[in-house]
Amino acid sequence: MEIRRGQRLAMGDLCQNTDSFQVGLSISGLGSEIDFACFGLNAQQKLSDERYMTFYNQTESPCGGLKLVKPDQDSARFLCQLTALPANIDRLVFTAALNSSETMWQLQGGYLRFLVANQEVARFSFSGADFLDEKALMVGEIYRKDNGWRFSATGQGFNGGLAALVKHFGGDVAEDSLQPVGKLSLEKKIAAVAPKLVDLAKKATLSLEKHRLSSTVARVGLVLDASGSMYAQYDKGKVQQVIERLLPLAVHFDDDGELDVWAFSSKTLALPAATLQNYADYIASAEYGWRNWGMMSINNEPAVIEQVIQHYSNTNLPVLIIFISDGGVSQNAAIKKLLVEAAALPIFWQFVGIGGRNYGVLEKLDTLAGRVVDNCGFFSLDDINSISEQALYERLLNEFPLWLEAAKLKSIIR
Amino acid sequence: MAISLSKGGNVNLSKEVPGLNKVLVGLGWDARATDGTAFDLDASAFLVKLDGKVRSDSDFCFYNNKVVADGAVQHAGDNLTGAGDGDDECLKVELSKIPADLDKVVFSVTIHDAVTRKQNFGQVNRAYIRIVNEDGGQEIARYDLSEDASVETAMIFGEIYRVGADWKFKAVGQGFVGGLGPLAASFGVNV
Repeated sequence: MEIRRGQRLAMGDLCQNTDSFQVGLSISGLGSEIDFACFGLNAQQKLSDERYMTFYNQTESPCGGLKLVKPDQDSARFLCQLTALPANIDRLVFTAALNSSETMWQLQGGYLRFLVANQEVARFSFSGADFLDEKALMVGEIYRKDNGWRFSATGQGFNGGLAALVKHFGGDVAEDSLQPVGKLSLEKKIAAVAPKLVDLAKKATLSLEKHRLSSTVARVGLVLDASGSMYAQYDKGKVQQVIERLLPLAVHFDDDGELDVWAFSSKTLALPAATLQNYADYIASAEYGWRNWGMMSINNEPAVIEQVIQHYSNTNLPVLIIFISDGGVSQNAAIKKLLVEAAALPIFWQFVGIGGRNYGVLEKLDTLAGRVVDNCGFFSLDDINSISEQALYERLLNEFPLWLEAAKLKSIIR
Repeated sequence: MAISLSKGGNVNLSKEVPGLNKVLVGLGWDARATDGTAFDLDASAFLVKLDGKVRSDSDFCFYNNKVVADGAVQHAGDNLTGAGDGDDECLKVELSKIPADLDKVVFSVTIHDAVTRKQNFGQVNRAYIRIVNEDGGQEIARYDLSEDASVETAMIFGEIYRVGADWKFKAVGQGFVGGLGPLAASFGVNV
């Protein structure tokens, strides 16, 4: 039987025994890997129980009614036993999501098919012409209706990929509902686009798990000292290494996987976000490369701090700012005033001193009085790349979770 | 409490609300939740004789011909407040004004540009038609037809028709292949 997009029909018309059938999914013609999943939703069409997201990292539902198997044919196959599903699971949505820059209009062909005893009984076919810029699709849905089960060939999706899909099913985007996404994709996301960073991603994942940050969603920003004394660090490629080391954190925390970057000297320059696509020669090429940034004079921290605060004034998510400085900090009073005021904002400032001295007020941040919560951390290294990546992630993520907890208590973040 | 109808079901409006005259016909559906071209749905009404055909093209009520049969049926668009609030499109029917030679008013919805946009009713969620007494805003009957819609691009949602001196409403839920043009033609409208 051929099923057309939009068609709705009773499961009984598709297969006689709805207690033992398989759903096979396939998409061809795309370069990147596709994540197939089945979301078990409640009657409000929300994923109220994360264990009912069946995907490669969680291949069986608690009731056993859904199992993901790697088939000989098809890209993914789900073994379904509808009677095993608990009553609060009202709808099964079979999805496909891309983790790359490709979109669904580029796919050549795809289908969702039903198999009984390994024989195809019905097929819903689609092609790239059915889509525009979607990166995640709800391919089809099996749902309860009038004491039975029905199937709808949905074939619609979201440009925002898996995150948008989870948001659609979760209502509350923050934290918990995004857990599967964060967990499943860091290594995978990076492996697809920037294999060079996979090793870093693994190390970052370890630290994230250790600090219970696996499910935290946050924006990540990087502030780079680009005063004259930093010349050698830029010239020798050490700042580029900083970008590479920090990007996995941004990809993990940030829903759009971007690292917001500012450079500052006497003035502040907002750079294009660093991403998995552009990171490889970021320092040498962003805004025509660091030599053309008009930096390399004195350092003016207050100006960049103000601009960062302004930039995140509309975000609901917590923000982790990693602030690289090589010292020579002189505007202590102004920095102090800004950071004390900023304690009421959902921003945590992790200052990292590298290869310098005279960090001034930065070294005393932990004892800065007059703040609702401790919104700053500081540590210094002779050379940011002299310690192991693992050690770096440990130090970067040391104080952030403490702030998250404190900020939550004070209702600074949700 | 409004009467909930399923496909094919009907209700005697004149018995439910004795003296009923002014009726609001509200039609609604969920806006597209996914990304892609929005669903642009247009409601229309056909005033037909006993033989199921219009008297003339002017008995076809749609966005370009909003007042029909001297105001017996009016296309109110989506600008209504009050009782019509929440509906995506609304038509007003004044039963006493329906000319004696007309037997029923058929309410349909079509998807604008459905073929180019590769859209059909199966993709539209939670479509309904409801009949509201304009005096007082009481909902008399309602028909949710999502599950009765599939790959069609035009749907007859329901119809109000004469039975003797009474008026009844029927939940039709009948899909029509080909969109508004062929649908209108089937009622004898020259398109």
